[in-house]
Amino acid sequence: MKTSKAEFDATCSLFINSVNNYFRHLTEIDSELNVPYIKQSEGLMLKDYTGMIGISGNRKGFVYISANRIMYEDLIKIFIGIDDPSEEDILDMAGEISNVVAGNVRANLGANFMISVPVVFQGMPSKLKIPEDVSIYVIPIVWNNHEAFVVIGLQ
Amino acid sequence: MRLLIVDDSSIMRRIIEKNLKDYDIEIIGMAPDGASAVKIVKEEKPDVVTLDITMPGMDGLACLDEIMLMHPKCKVMIITALSDKLTGLRALDKGARGFLYKPVNADDLAKAFDRLLKRNENKQSGV
Repeated sequence: MKTSKAEFDATCSLFINSVNNYFRHLTEIDSELNVPYIKQSEGLMLKDYTGMIGISGNRKGFVYISANRIMYEDLIKIFIGIDDPSEEDILDMAGEISNVVAGNVRANLGANFMISVPVVFQGMPSKLKIPEDVSIYVIPIVWNNHEAFVVIGLQ
Repeated sequence: MRLLIVDDSSIMRRIIEKNLKDYDIEIIGMAPDGASAVKIVKEEKPDVVTLDITMPGMDGLACLDEIMLMHPKCKVMIITALSDKLTGLRALDKGARGFLYKPVNADDLAKAFDRLLKRNENKQSGV
């Protein structure tokens, strides 16, 4: 699907600001953003654990954040002081970051940018239906030396 | 002051619990969704509820309606990632006493609860 440069820049900018704000406000460690790009090939950019939010209303699609376990472990340690979080804790953390990053975008896009509760998974799930008519933007980020992907798929 | 924490994220529930340890607050329960929260409010009549909005099943705004019907004196503080103005206004219109946008850190929670508790003290002393 073709995307204008202006639309790509504007959408990425909203999510970059949201991600930056999340890490700075909660951890006082800034995230570093690498150059965002439009994903052309098949398949998804996934790390160990992913929290995905469905988007409906004015825009339709999804946004997800995917990172390795160690990043979620570091966040949980900072937030609640647990050294050895459970699998449920890791998945919960993945879902909560995605929820906050997507929800904060509504400050700019308004209440018609509707978000679902997070769907969380480890690895590559066998049943994950991604709409075909979306432009997929990938924003690689690094927080506390951990790489993660913010991936936005919007009609 | 008796508090119920409602959020579908268990990490978020524990963040709120951890950061309110220094307050004179008894946490009487935690709920992961609106329906569970309504049940606890009906039975326990908490003084304060922290309430997420985006939750599976009954969301926070529908839950707020139920709480206000059952227990109108309950002080509900919305804590949500939905950072548009309309959602905030709708929640306040439905009877929420406070509103915090996630991400929420310890300082945000402390300031919000300081305001809430101060209002409570003023009301009790007739100020």
